[in-house]
Amino acid sequence: MTVAVLMRPKGITNVLRGFTGNPRAAVGLGLVVLAVVVAIGAPIFAPFAPDQLDFINTLAPPSSDHWLGTDELGRDVLSRIIHGARTSLVVGALSVVVAALIGTAAGIVAGYFGKAYDALIMRIMDIVFAFPSILLALAIAAVLGPSLTNAVLAISVVNLPVFARIARAQTLVVRQLEFVEAKRALGFGTFNILSRTILPNIMPPIIVQGSLLFASAIITESYLSFLGLGAQPPLATWGNMLRNAIGFMELAPWLALFPGFAIFITVFGCNLLGDGLRDRFDPRH
Amino acid sequence: MGRYLATRLASLIPILFGTSVIAFILIRLVPGDPAIAILGMEADASAIATLRQKMALDQPVTVQYFSWLGLILTGDFGRSIQGGRQVLPLLLNALGPTAVLSVAALAISLAIAIPTGIIAAMRPNTGADYSASFLALCGLSMPSFWLGVLLILAFSIHLPLFPASGYVSPFVNLGGHLHHLVLPALTLGAALAAATMRMTRATMLEVLRTDYIRTARAKGLPQRLIIWTHALRNARIPIVTLIGIQFGQLLGGVVITETVFSWPGIGKLTVDAIFARDYPVVQGAVLLTALLFVLINLATDLLYTSLDPRVRLT
Repeated sequence: MTVAVLMRPKGITNVLRGFTGNPRAAVGLGLVVLAVVVAIGAPIFAPFAPDQLDFINTLAPPSSDHWLGTDELGRDVLSRIIHGARTSLVVGALSVVVAALIGTAAGIVAGYFGKAYDALIMRIMDIVFAFPSILLALAIAAVLGPSLTNAVLAISVVNLPVFARIARAQTLVVRQLEFVEAKRALGFGTFNILSRTILPNIMPPIIVQGSLLFASAIITESYLSFLGLGAQPPLATWGNMLRNAIGFMELAPWLALFPGFAIFITVFGCNLLGDGLRDRFDPRH
Repeated sequence: MGRYLATRLASLIPILFGTSVIAFILIRLVPGDPAIAILGMEADASAIATLRQKMALDQPVTVQYFSWLGLILTGDFGRSIQGGRQVLPLLLNALGPTAVLSVAALAISLAIAIPTGIIAAMRPNTGADYSASFLALCGLSMPSFWLGVLLILAFSIHLPLFPASGYVSPFVNLGGHLHHLVLPALTLGAALAAATMRMTRATMLEVLRTDYIRTARAKGLPQRLIIWTHALRNARIPIVTLIGIQFGQLLGGVVITETVFSWPGIGKLTVDAIFARDYPVVQGAVLLTALLFVLINLATDLLYTSLDPRVRLT
Protein backbone atom coordinates (compact mmCIF):
# COMPACT_ATOMS: atom_id res chain seq x y z
CA MET A 1 0.00 0.00 0.00
CA THR A 2 2.78 2.38 0.97
CA VAL A 3 4.54 1.57 -2.26
CA ALA A 4 1.38 2.25 -4.25
CA VAL A 5 1.01 5.69 -2.64
CA LEU A 6 4.64 6.55 -3.28
CA MET A 7 4.37 5.45 -6.87
CA ARG A 8 1.29 7.48 -7.67
CA PRO A 9 2.22 9.64 -10.64
CA LYS A 10 2.25 13.30 -9.69
CA GLY A 11 3.62 14.71 -12.94
CA ILE A 12 0.39 15.68 -14.70
CA THR A 13 -1.21 17.08 -11.54
CA ASN A 14 1.88 19.20 -11.01
CA VAL A 15 1.65 20.52 -14.55
CA LEU A 16 -2.00 21.50 -14.11
CA ARG A 17 -1.19 23.21 -10.81
CA GLY A 18 1.35 25.29 -12.74
CA PHE A 19 -1.43 27.44 -14.19
CA THR A 20 -2.80 28.63 -10.87
CA GLY A 21 -0.95 31.58 -9.42
CA ASN A 22 1.09 32.04 -12.60
CA PRO A 23 -0.43 34.80 -14.71
CA ARG A 24 2.10 34.43 -17.53
CA ALA A 25 1.32 30.74 -17.97
CA ALA A 26 -2.40 31.52 -17.74
CA VAL A 27 -2.19 34.23 -20.44
CA GLY A 28 -0.11 31.90 -22.61
CA LEU A 29 -2.61 29.09 -22.11
CA GLY A 30 -5.43 31.52 -22.97
CA LEU A 31 -3.78 32.51 -26.27
CA VAL A 32 -3.06 28.89 -27.19
CA VAL A 33 -6.62 27.81 -26.32
CA LEU A 34 -7.96 30.71 -28.40
CA ALA A 35 -5.87 29.62 -31.39
CA VAL A 36 -7.06 26.02 -30.96
CA VAL A 37 -10.71 27.08 -30.69
CA VAL A 38 -10.37 29.24 -33.82
CA ALA A 39 -8.73 26.37 -35.67
CA ILE A 40 -11.36 23.81 -34.64
CA GLY A 41 -14.26 26.15 -35.37
CA ALA A 42 -12.74 27.55 -38.58
CA PRO A 43 -15.81 26.86 -40.76
CA ILE A 44 -18.01 28.66 -38.19
CA PHE A 45 -15.75 31.63 -37.50
CA ALA A 46 -14.52 32.30 -41.05
CA PRO A 47 -16.84 34.74 -42.85
CA PHE A 48 -15.98 33.22 -46.28
CA ALA A 49 -14.68 29.94 -47.61
CA PRO A 50 -10.85 30.13 -47.68
CA ASP A 51 -10.70 29.43 -51.43
CA GLN A 52 -13.70 31.53 -52.47
CA LEU A 53 -12.57 33.67 -55.41
CA ASP A 54 -13.87 37.20 -56.01
CA PHE A 55 -12.26 38.78 -59.07
CA ILE A 56 -14.10 42.07 -58.54
CA ASN A 57 -12.49 42.56 -55.12
CA THR A 58 -8.87 41.59 -55.75
CA LEU A 59 -6.26 43.15 -53.45
CA ALA A 60 -8.99 45.05 -51.60
CA PRO A 61 -7.74 46.80 -48.44
CA PRO A 62 -9.30 45.99 -45.05
CA SER A 63 -12.95 47.07 -44.98
CA SER A 64 -16.22 46.23 -43.25
CA ASP A 65 -16.83 43.48 -45.85
CA HIS A 66 -13.36 42.02 -45.65
CA TRP A 67 -11.92 42.89 -42.24
CA LEU A 68 -8.35 42.02 -43.20
CA GLY A 69 -8.66 42.70 -46.93
CA THR A 70 -8.42 40.30 -49.87
CA ASP A 71 -5.56 38.76 -51.83
CA GLU A 72 -4.73 38.85 -55.55
CA LEU A 73 -7.51 36.34 -56.29
CA GLY A 74 -10.06 38.17 -54.15
CA ARG A 75 -9.92 35.56 -51.37
CA ASP A 76 -10.75 36.85 -47.90
CA VAL A 77 -7.53 37.16 -45.87
CA LEU A 78 -9.24 36.71 -42.48
CA SER A 79 -10.91 33.49 -43.61
CA ARG A 80 -7.62 32.15 -44.93
CA ILE A 81 -5.83 33.05 -41.69
CA ILE A 82 -8.53 31.28 -39.65
CA HIS A 83 -8.30 28.17 -41.83
CA GLY A 84 -4.50 28.48 -41.89
CA ALA A 85 -4.55 28.12 -38.11
CA ARG A 86 -5.66 24.52 -38.60
CA THR A 87 -2.65 23.62 -40.72
CA SER A 88 -0.14 25.40 -38.52
CA LEU A 89 -1.49 24.00 -35.27
CA VAL A 90 -1.96 20.49 -36.62
CA VAL A 91 1.57 20.36 -38.05
CA GLY A 92 3.00 21.94 -34.89
CA ALA A 93 1.12 19.60 -32.54
CA LEU A 94 1.65 16.42 -34.55
CA SER A 95 5.35 17.02 -35.03
CA VAL A 96 5.86 17.70 -31.32
CA VAL A 97 3.78 14.66 -30.30
CA VAL A 98 5.67 12.37 -32.70
CA ALA A 99 9.03 13.76 -31.55
CA ALA A 100 7.99 13.56 -27.89
CA LEU A 101 6.77 9.96 -28.16
CA ILE A 102 9.83 8.64 -29.97
CA GLY A 103 12.38 10.92 -28.29
CA THR A 104 11.05 10.29 -24.77
CA ALA A 105 10.91 6.53 -25.32
CA ALA A 106 14.49 6.58 -26.65
CA GLY A 107 15.66 8.77 -23.75
CA ILE A 108 14.03 6.53 -21.13
CA VAL A 109 15.58 3.40 -22.63
CA ALA A 110 19.00 5.11 -22.81
CA GLY A 111 18.76 6.39 -19.24
CA TYR A 112 17.30 3.27 -17.65
CA PHE A 113 19.35 0.56 -19.33
CA GLY A 114 22.54 2.62 -19.83
CA LYS A 115 25.71 1.08 -21.30
CA ALA A 116 25.46 0.11 -24.98
CA TYR A 117 21.82 1.27 -25.28
CA ASP A 118 22.76 4.67 -23.89
CA ALA A 119 25.85 5.00 -26.08
CA LEU A 120 24.07 3.99 -29.28
CA ILE A 121 20.89 6.04 -28.78
CA MET A 122 22.62 9.18 -27.59
CA ARG A 123 25.26 9.10 -30.36
CA ILE A 124 22.42 8.93 -32.91
CA MET A 125 20.79 11.91 -31.20
CA ASP A 126 24.12 13.78 -31.18
CA ILE A 127 24.40 13.22 -34.91
CA VAL A 128 20.91 14.61 -35.58
CA PHE A 129 21.80 17.50 -33.26
CA ALA A 130 24.90 18.20 -35.34
CA PHE A 131 22.75 19.72 -38.08
CA PRO A 132 21.23 23.19 -37.85
CA SER A 133 17.58 22.30 -37.33
CA ILE A 134 16.06 24.45 -40.08
CA LEU A 135 18.52 23.19 -42.65
CA LEU A 136 17.89 19.55 -41.74
CA ALA A 137 14.11 20.07 -41.84
CA LEU A 138 14.47 21.77 -45.23
CA ALA A 139 16.66 19.02 -46.61
CA ILE A 140 14.29 16.26 -45.43
CA ALA A 141 11.22 18.07 -46.76
CA ALA A 142 13.00 18.78 -50.05
CA VAL A 143 14.12 15.20 -50.55
CA LEU A 144 10.79 13.61 -49.56
CA GLY A 145 8.80 16.17 -51.53
CA PRO A 146 6.65 19.08 -50.37
CA SER A 147 3.61 17.89 -48.40
CA LEU A 148 1.98 18.25 -45.02
CA THR A 149 3.01 14.75 -43.91
CA ASN A 150 6.63 15.27 -44.89
CA ALA A 151 6.67 18.61 -43.08
CA VAL A 152 5.50 16.83 -39.90
CA LEU A 153 8.15 14.17 -40.40
CA ALA A 154 10.91 16.72 -41.02
CA ILE A 155 10.04 18.81 -37.96
CA SER A 156 9.69 15.70 -35.79
CA VAL A 157 13.15 14.45 -36.72
CA VAL A 158 14.87 17.72 -35.82
CA ASN A 159 13.09 17.84 -32.44
CA LEU A 160 13.79 14.22 -31.46
CA PRO A 161 17.16 14.79 -29.74
CA VAL A 162 15.75 17.50 -27.46
CA PHE A 163 13.19 15.13 -25.94
CA ALA A 164 15.65 12.24 -25.84
CA ARG A 165 18.21 14.28 -23.90
CA ILE A 166 15.70 15.56 -21.36
CA ALA A 167 14.08 12.14 -20.88
CA ARG A 168 17.47 10.47 -20.44
CA ALA A 169 18.68 13.02 -17.90
CA GLN A 170 15.46 12.78 -15.89
CA THR A 171 15.41 8.97 -16.04
CA LEU A 172 18.97 8.84 -14.68
CA VAL A 173 17.73 10.69 -11.59
CA VAL A 174 14.38 8.92 -11.14
CA ARG A 175 15.65 5.34 -11.60
CA GLN A 176 17.71 5.65 -8.40
CA LEU A 177 14.80 6.76 -6.23
CA GLU A 178 13.40 4.47 -3.57
CA PHE A 179 10.00 3.88 -5.11
CA VAL A 180 11.60 2.56 -8.31
CA GLU A 181 13.82 0.28 -6.22
CA ALA A 182 10.69 -0.83 -4.34
CA LYS A 183 8.88 -1.78 -7.54
CA ARG A 184 11.90 -3.70 -8.73
CA ALA A 185 12.07 -5.52 -5.40
CA LEU A 186 8.37 -6.35 -5.65
CA GLY A 187 9.03 -8.01 -8.99
CA PHE A 188 7.24 -5.62 -11.32
CA GLY A 189 8.20 -6.02 -14.97
CA THR A 190 10.55 -3.59 -16.71
CA PHE A 191 7.86 -2.28 -19.05
CA ASN A 192 5.57 -1.63 -16.09
CA ILE A 193 8.31 0.26 -14.25
CA LEU A 194 9.20 2.33 -17.32
CA SER A 195 5.65 3.20 -18.32
CA ARG A 196 3.90 3.48 -14.94
CA THR A 197 6.64 4.80 -12.69
CA ILE A 198 9.48 6.41 -14.64
CA LEU A 199 7.37 8.05 -17.36
CA PRO A 200 4.86 9.90 -15.12
CA ASN A 201 7.68 11.18 -12.95
CA ILE A 202 9.68 12.68 -15.80
CA MET A 203 6.68 14.29 -17.49
CA PRO A 204 6.83 17.92 -16.20
CA PRO A 205 10.06 18.90 -18.02
CA ILE A 206 8.90 17.00 -21.11
CA ILE A 207 5.63 18.96 -21.15
CA VAL A 208 7.41 22.27 -20.57
CA GLN A 209 9.81 21.51 -23.42
CA GLY A 210 6.89 20.35 -25.55
CA SER A 211 5.14 23.71 -25.19
CA LEU A 212 8.33 25.56 -26.16
CA LEU A 213 8.99 23.22 -29.08
CA PHE A 214 5.36 23.57 -30.19
CA ALA A 215 6.16 27.26 -30.68
CA SER A 216 9.30 26.53 -32.64
CA ALA A 217 7.49 23.83 -34.67
CA ILE A 218 4.88 26.40 -35.75
CA ILE A 219 7.68 28.71 -36.86
CA THR A 220 9.52 25.90 -38.68
CA GLU A 221 6.28 24.90 -40.44
CA SER A 222 5.83 28.51 -41.52
CA TYR A 223 9.42 28.53 -42.85
CA LEU A 224 8.78 25.36 -44.84
CA SER A 225 5.49 26.72 -46.22
CA PHE A 226 7.11 30.08 -46.92
CA LEU A 227 9.74 28.31 -49.00
CA GLY A 228 7.10 26.19 -50.74
CA LEU A 229 8.10 22.96 -48.97
CA GLY A 230 5.14 22.62 -46.60
CA ALA A 231 1.44 22.16 -47.33
CA GLN A 232 0.71 23.01 -50.93
CA PRO A 233 -1.82 25.55 -52.28
CA PRO A 234 -4.76 25.89 -52.41
CA LEU A 235 -4.55 24.78 -48.75
CA ALA A 236 -4.07 27.97 -46.76
CA THR A 237 -1.15 28.13 -44.35
CA TRP A 238 0.26 31.21 -42.70
CA GLY A 239 3.63 30.54 -44.31
CA ASN A 240 2.37 30.18 -47.87
CA MET A 241 0.17 33.28 -47.42
CA LEU A 242 3.32 35.22 -46.57
CA ARG A 243 5.15 33.68 -49.51
CA ASN A 244 2.34 34.92 -51.73
CA ALA A 245 2.44 38.37 -50.13
CA ILE A 246 6.06 39.04 -51.08
CA GLY A 247 5.07 39.93 -54.64
CA PHE A 248 2.47 42.48 -53.50
CA MET A 249 4.24 44.28 -50.67
CA GLU A 250 3.89 47.75 -52.21
CA LEU A 251 0.34 47.26 -53.47
CA ALA A 252 -1.14 45.28 -50.59
CA PRO A 253 0.99 45.34 -47.41
CA TRP A 254 -1.88 43.81 -45.38
CA LEU A 255 -1.21 40.50 -47.12
CA ALA A 256 2.14 40.37 -45.35
CA LEU A 257 1.11 41.95 -42.06
CA PHE A 258 -1.79 39.80 -40.87
CA PRO A 259 -0.60 36.20 -41.49
CA GLY A 260 2.73 37.12 -39.86
CA PHE A 261 0.89 38.56 -36.88
CA ALA A 262 -1.12 35.34 -36.58
CA ILE A 263 2.11 33.32 -36.38
CA PHE A 264 3.59 35.82 -33.94
CA ILE A 265 0.68 35.88 -31.50
CA THR A 266 0.30 32.09 -31.46
CA VAL A 267 4.01 31.52 -30.92
CA PHE A 268 4.03 34.30 -28.31
CA GLY A 269 1.27 32.44 -26.42
CA CYS A 270 3.18 29.15 -26.58
CA ASN A 271 6.36 30.82 -25.35
CA LEU A 272 4.52 32.52 -22.48
CA LEU A 273 2.98 29.19 -21.55
CA GLY A 274 6.34 27.41 -21.74
CA ASP A 275 8.11 30.14 -19.76
CA GLY A 276 5.41 30.15 -17.11
CA LEU A 277 5.52 26.38 -16.74
CA ARG A 278 9.31 26.44 -16.58
CA ASP A 279 9.17 29.08 -13.83
CA ARG A 280 6.90 26.72 -11.95
CA PHE A 281 8.93 23.56 -12.35
CA ASP A 282 12.55 24.61 -12.73
CA PRO A 283 13.95 25.94 -9.44
CA ARG A 284 16.71 27.74 -11.34
CA HIS A 285 14.18 30.11 -12.94
CA MET B 1 44.79 21.44 -22.97
CA GLY B 2 46.47 19.38 -25.69
CA ARG B 3 44.98 16.20 -24.27
CA TYR B 4 41.56 17.79 -24.04
CA LEU B 5 41.79 18.98 -27.64
CA ALA B 6 42.78 15.48 -28.77
CA THR B 7 39.86 13.93 -26.81
CA ARG B 8 37.38 16.44 -28.21
CA LEU B 9 38.67 15.92 -31.75
CA ALA B 10 38.40 12.15 -31.32
CA SER B 11 34.80 12.53 -30.11
CA LEU B 12 34.03 14.36 -33.33
CA ILE B 13 34.86 11.30 -35.43
CA PRO B 14 31.59 9.38 -34.79
CA ILE B 15 29.61 12.62 -35.16
CA LEU B 16 31.23 13.44 -38.48
CA PHE B 17 30.81 9.84 -39.60
CA GLY B 18 27.11 10.03 -38.70
CA THR B 19 26.59 13.36 -40.47
CA SER B 20 28.22 11.95 -43.58
CA VAL B 21 25.86 8.93 -43.40
CA ILE B 22 22.84 11.24 -43.14
CA ALA B 23 24.06 13.38 -46.06
CA PHE B 24 24.64 10.16 -48.04
CA ILE B 25 21.19 8.79 -47.20
CA LEU B 26 19.48 12.08 -48.11
CA ILE B 27 20.00 11.57 -51.81
CA ARG B 28 18.94 7.93 -51.55
CA LEU B 29 15.63 9.05 -50.04
CA VAL B 30 14.68 10.81 -53.27
CA PRO B 31 11.96 8.66 -54.86
CA GLY B 32 13.26 6.75 -57.88
CA ASP B 33 16.78 6.32 -59.24
CA PRO B 34 19.33 8.61 -57.50
CA ALA B 35 21.28 8.99 -60.76
CA ILE B 36 18.16 10.26 -62.56
CA ALA B 37 17.35 12.46 -59.56
CA ILE B 38 20.81 14.01 -59.81
CA LEU B 39 21.01 14.37 -63.59
CA GLY B 40 17.35 15.12 -64.22
CA MET B 41 14.71 13.32 -66.26
CA GLU B 42 16.04 14.76 -69.53
CA ALA B 43 19.57 13.37 -69.13
CA ASP B 44 20.68 10.89 -71.77
CA ALA B 45 21.04 7.21 -70.96
CA SER B 46 24.82 7.12 -71.29
CA ALA B 47 25.30 9.98 -68.79
CA ILE B 48 22.97 8.21 -66.36
CA ALA B 49 24.86 4.93 -66.83
CA THR B 50 28.21 6.70 -66.22
CA LEU B 51 26.91 8.32 -63.05
CA ARG B 52 25.38 5.07 -61.84
CA GLN B 53 28.83 3.49 -62.25
CA LYS B 54 30.55 6.42 -60.49
CA MET B 55 28.08 6.24 -57.60
CA ALA B 56 28.47 2.45 -57.53
CA LEU B 57 24.69 2.09 -57.57
CA ASP B 58 24.94 -1.54 -58.68
CA GLN B 59 27.04 -2.32 -55.57
CA PRO B 60 25.90 -2.96 -51.98
CA VAL B 61 25.00 0.19 -50.01
CA THR B 62 28.16 0.02 -47.86
CA VAL B 63 30.33 -0.02 -51.00
CA GLN B 64 28.30 2.91 -52.36
CA TYR B 65 28.82 4.86 -49.12
CA PHE B 66 32.58 4.34 -48.91
CA SER B 67 33.00 5.07 -52.60
CA TRP B 68 31.05 8.34 -52.08
CA LEU B 69 33.02 9.15 -48.90
CA GLY B 70 36.28 8.62 -50.78
CA LEU B 71 35.23 11.20 -53.34
CA ILE B 72 34.11 13.65 -50.61
CA LEU B 73 37.41 13.31 -48.73
CA THR B 74 39.29 14.24 -51.91
CA GLY B 75 37.11 17.33 -52.29
CA ASP B 76 34.95 15.88 -55.04
CA PHE B 77 31.41 16.83 -54.00
CA GLY B 78 30.18 16.13 -57.52
CA ARG B 79 28.91 18.58 -60.09
CA SER B 80 25.92 20.87 -59.96
CA ILE B 81 23.08 19.88 -62.26
CA GLN B 82 22.69 23.53 -63.20
CA GLY B 83 25.69 24.54 -65.30
CA GLY B 84 27.75 21.50 -64.38
CA ARG B 85 30.09 23.43 -62.05
CA GLN B 86 31.97 21.65 -59.29
CA VAL B 87 29.90 21.78 -56.09
CA LEU B 88 32.72 22.53 -53.62
CA PRO B 89 33.85 25.83 -55.22
CA LEU B 90 30.19 26.86 -55.48
CA LEU B 91 29.73 26.26 -51.76
CA LEU B 92 32.98 27.98 -50.81
CA ASN B 93 32.06 31.05 -52.90
CA ALA B 94 28.73 31.28 -51.11
CA LEU B 95 30.36 30.94 -47.67
CA GLY B 96 31.85 34.46 -47.87
CA PRO B 97 28.53 36.39 -48.01
CA THR B 98 27.06 34.06 -45.37
CA ALA B 99 30.02 34.65 -43.04
CA VAL B 100 29.71 38.44 -43.46
CA LEU B 101 25.96 38.32 -42.77
CA SER B 102 26.40 36.02 -39.76
CA VAL B 103 29.14 38.13 -38.16
CA ALA B 104 27.16 41.35 -38.73
CA ALA B 105 24.01 39.77 -37.24
CA LEU B 106 25.95 38.50 -34.24
CA ALA B 107 27.52 41.95 -33.69
CA ILE B 108 24.10 43.63 -33.84
CA SER B 109 22.61 41.07 -31.46
CA LEU B 110 25.42 41.52 -28.92
CA ALA B 111 25.20 45.32 -29.15
CA ILE B 112 21.48 45.12 -28.32
CA ALA B 113 21.40 42.15 -25.95
CA ILE B 114 24.32 42.60 -23.55
CA PRO B 115 23.51 46.18 -22.38
CA THR B 116 19.77 45.45 -22.29
CA GLY B 117 20.28 42.23 -20.35
CA ILE B 118 22.58 43.97 -17.86
CA ILE B 119 20.15 46.88 -17.33
CA ALA B 120 17.28 44.43 -16.81
CA ALA B 121 19.33 42.46 -14.27
CA MET B 122 20.41 45.59 -12.41
CA ARG B 123 16.80 46.68 -11.96
CA PRO B 124 14.90 43.41 -11.52
CA ASN B 125 11.10 43.54 -11.36
CA THR B 126 10.96 47.16 -12.50
CA GLY B 127 9.44 48.70 -15.61
CA ALA B 128 12.80 48.50 -17.42
CA ASP B 129 13.13 44.80 -16.62
CA TYR B 130 9.56 43.98 -17.65
CA SER B 131 9.89 45.97 -20.89
CA ALA B 132 13.18 44.29 -21.81
CA SER B 133 11.79 40.83 -21.02
CA PHE B 134 8.61 41.54 -22.99
CA LEU B 135 10.61 42.73 -26.01
CA ALA B 136 12.84 39.68 -25.79
CA LEU B 137 9.83 37.37 -25.76
CA CYS B 138 8.42 39.25 -28.77
CA GLY B 139 11.76 38.80 -30.55
CA LEU B 140 11.73 35.07 -29.83
CA SER B 141 8.17 34.71 -31.08
CA MET B 142 8.65 36.59 -34.33
CA PRO B 143 9.43 34.47 -37.39
CA SER B 144 12.52 35.99 -38.97
CA PHE B 145 11.03 36.22 -42.46
CA TRP B 146 8.12 38.25 -41.09
CA LEU B 147 10.50 40.65 -39.37
CA GLY B 148 12.38 40.89 -42.67
CA VAL B 149 9.15 41.69 -44.48
CA LEU B 150 8.24 44.33 -41.87
CA LEU B 151 11.68 45.93 -42.19
CA ILE B 152 11.35 45.97 -45.99
CA LEU B 153 7.89 47.58 -45.69
CA ALA B 154 9.20 50.21 -43.25
CA PHE B 155 12.70 51.00 -44.54
CA SER B 156 12.59 50.12 -48.23
CA ILE B 157 9.02 50.91 -49.30
CA HIS B 158 7.66 53.63 -46.97
CA LEU B 159 11.02 55.18 -46.08
CA PRO B 160 13.32 54.24 -48.94
CA LEU B 161 16.50 54.19 -46.85
CA PHE B 162 17.84 50.71 -47.60
CA PRO B 163 17.54 48.35 -50.57
CA ALA B 164 14.97 45.58 -50.17
CA SER B 165 17.21 42.95 -51.71
CA GLY B 166 20.40 42.30 -53.59
CA TYR B 167 24.12 42.17 -52.92
CA VAL B 168 27.17 44.25 -53.81
CA SER B 169 30.62 42.73 -53.37
CA PRO B 170 32.71 44.54 -50.74
CA PHE B 171 35.65 44.43 -53.17
CA VAL B 172 33.65 46.43 -55.71
CA ASN B 173 31.90 48.95 -53.46
CA LEU B 174 32.27 48.68 -49.68
CA GLY B 175 29.65 51.38 -49.00
CA GLY B 176 27.11 49.65 -51.23
CA HIS B 177 27.92 46.32 -49.58
CA LEU B 178 27.23 47.70 -46.10
CA HIS B 179 24.10 49.46 -47.35
CA HIS B 180 22.71 46.15 -48.60
CA LEU B 181 23.80 44.38 -45.42
CA VAL B 182 21.81 46.50 -42.93
CA LEU B 183 18.31 44.99 -43.27
CA PRO B 184 19.27 41.30 -43.51
CA ALA B 185 21.72 41.68 -40.60
CA LEU B 186 19.07 43.44 -38.49
CA THR B 187 16.55 40.72 -39.30
CA LEU B 188 18.88 37.95 -38.31
CA GLY B 189 20.39 39.84 -35.37
CA ALA B 190 17.07 40.70 -33.72
CA ALA B 191 16.10 37.06 -33.15
CA LEU B 192 19.53 36.29 -31.72
CA ALA B 193 19.40 39.35 -29.49
CA ALA B 194 16.23 38.12 -27.82
CA ALA B 195 17.77 34.84 -26.65
CA THR B 196 21.09 36.43 -25.68
CA MET B 197 19.34 39.17 -23.71
CA ARG B 198 17.37 36.61 -21.70
CA MET B 199 20.52 34.61 -20.98
CA THR B 200 22.49 37.76 -20.03
CA ARG B 201 19.73 38.89 -17.68
CA ALA B 202 19.38 35.49 -16.00
CA THR B 203 23.13 34.99 -15.58
CA MET B 204 23.79 38.53 -14.38
CA LEU B 205 20.95 38.26 -11.86
CA GLU B 206 22.60 35.17 -10.41
CA VAL B 207 26.08 36.75 -10.34
CA LEU B 208 24.87 40.05 -8.85
CA ARG B 209 23.51 38.13 -5.83
CA THR B 210 26.84 36.49 -5.01
CA ASP B 211 28.97 37.36 -1.99
CA TYR B 212 31.93 38.77 -3.88
CA ILE B 213 29.71 41.34 -5.60
CA ARG B 214 28.26 42.28 -2.21
CA THR B 215 31.84 42.66 -0.95
CA ALA B 216 32.79 44.80 -3.95
CA ARG B 217 29.80 47.04 -3.23
CA ALA B 218 30.72 47.22 0.47
CA LYS B 219 34.22 48.31 -0.52
CA GLY B 220 32.62 51.20 -2.36
CA LEU B 221 33.69 50.23 -5.86
CA PRO B 222 31.92 52.20 -8.57
CA GLN B 223 28.86 50.43 -10.06
CA ARG B 224 30.34 50.47 -13.55
CA LEU B 225 33.47 48.66 -12.38
CA ILE B 226 31.41 46.09 -10.49
CA ILE B 227 29.21 45.36 -13.48
CA TRP B 228 31.72 45.35 -16.32
CA THR B 229 34.79 43.99 -14.55
CA HIS B 230 33.54 41.72 -11.78
CA ALA B 231 30.04 40.58 -12.69
CA LEU B 232 30.19 40.30 -16.48
CA ARG B 233 33.49 38.42 -16.37
CA ASN B 234 31.82 35.68 -14.36
CA ALA B 235 28.65 35.71 -16.40
CA ARG B 236 30.50 35.14 -19.64
CA ILE B 237 30.53 31.33 -19.83
CA PRO B 238 26.81 30.68 -20.31
CA ILE B 239 26.56 33.72 -22.57
CA VAL B 240 29.47 32.53 -24.70
CA THR B 241 27.95 29.03 -24.80
CA LEU B 242 24.72 30.48 -26.11
CA ILE B 243 26.54 32.68 -28.63
CA GLY B 244 28.48 29.63 -29.85
CA ILE B 245 25.26 27.65 -30.29
CA GLN B 246 23.64 30.65 -31.97
CA PHE B 247 26.54 31.11 -34.35
CA GLY B 248 26.06 27.52 -35.42
CA GLN B 249 22.29 28.00 -35.67
CA LEU B 250 22.93 31.08 -37.81
CA LEU B 251 24.09 28.71 -40.52
CA GLY B 252 20.52 27.44 -40.59
CA GLY B 253 18.84 30.78 -39.94
CA VAL B 254 20.50 32.40 -42.92
CA VAL B 255 18.49 30.12 -45.19
CA ILE B 256 15.35 32.16 -44.65
CA THR B 257 16.93 35.61 -44.36
CA GLU B 258 19.08 35.14 -47.44
CA THR B 259 16.04 34.01 -49.40
CA VAL B 260 13.94 37.02 -48.34
CA PHE B 261 16.73 39.51 -49.15
CA SER B 262 18.25 37.64 -52.14
CA TRP B 263 21.60 37.54 -50.34
CA PRO B 264 23.82 35.14 -52.31
CA GLY B 265 25.07 33.03 -49.42
CA ILE B 266 24.97 29.34 -48.68
CA GLY B 267 21.34 29.54 -47.49
CA LYS B 268 20.04 30.98 -50.74
CA LEU B 269 22.24 28.60 -52.71
CA THR B 270 20.65 25.68 -50.82
CA VAL B 271 17.08 26.91 -51.35
CA ASP B 272 17.73 27.55 -55.06
CA ALA B 273 19.27 24.08 -55.34
CA ILE B 274 16.24 22.53 -53.61
CA PHE B 275 13.89 24.07 -56.17
CA ALA B 276 16.14 23.15 -59.09
CA ARG B 277 16.31 19.58 -57.66
CA ASP B 278 20.09 20.09 -57.71
CA TYR B 279 20.68 17.31 -55.18
CA PRO B 280 24.51 17.30 -55.27
CA VAL B 281 24.46 20.96 -54.15
CA VAL B 282 21.84 20.24 -51.45
CA GLN B 283 23.87 17.29 -50.21
CA GLY B 284 27.12 19.28 -50.24
CA ALA B 285 25.52 22.22 -48.44
CA VAL B 286 24.06 19.99 -45.73
CA LEU B 287 27.40 18.23 -45.20
CA LEU B 288 29.48 21.42 -45.18
CA THR B 289 27.08 23.22 -42.86
CA ALA B 290 27.03 20.30 -40.41
CA LEU B 291 30.84 20.23 -40.46
CA LEU B 292 31.02 23.96 -39.72
CA PHE B 293 28.37 23.61 -37.01
CA VAL B 294 30.39 20.88 -35.26
CA LEU B 295 33.63 22.87 -35.54
CA ILE B 296 31.98 26.02 -34.15
CA ASN B 297 30.71 24.01 -31.17
CA LEU B 298 34.24 22.70 -30.63
CA ALA B 299 35.65 26.25 -30.80
CA THR B 300 33.06 27.35 -28.21
CA ASP B 301 34.16 24.55 -25.88
CA LEU B 302 37.78 25.55 -26.27
CA LEU B 303 36.99 29.19 -25.53
CA TYR B 304 35.93 28.22 -22.01
CA THR B 305 39.50 27.59 -20.93
CA SER B 306 40.56 31.13 -21.66
CA LEU B 307 37.38 32.68 -20.24
CA ASP B 308 37.20 30.86 -16.93
CA PRO B 309 40.27 29.40 -15.22
CA ARG B 310 37.97 27.45 -12.89
CA VAL B 311 37.12 25.17 -15.77
CA ARG B 312 39.74 22.49 -15.63
CA LEU B 313 40.01 20.81 -18.98
CA THR B 314 42.38 17.91 -18.81
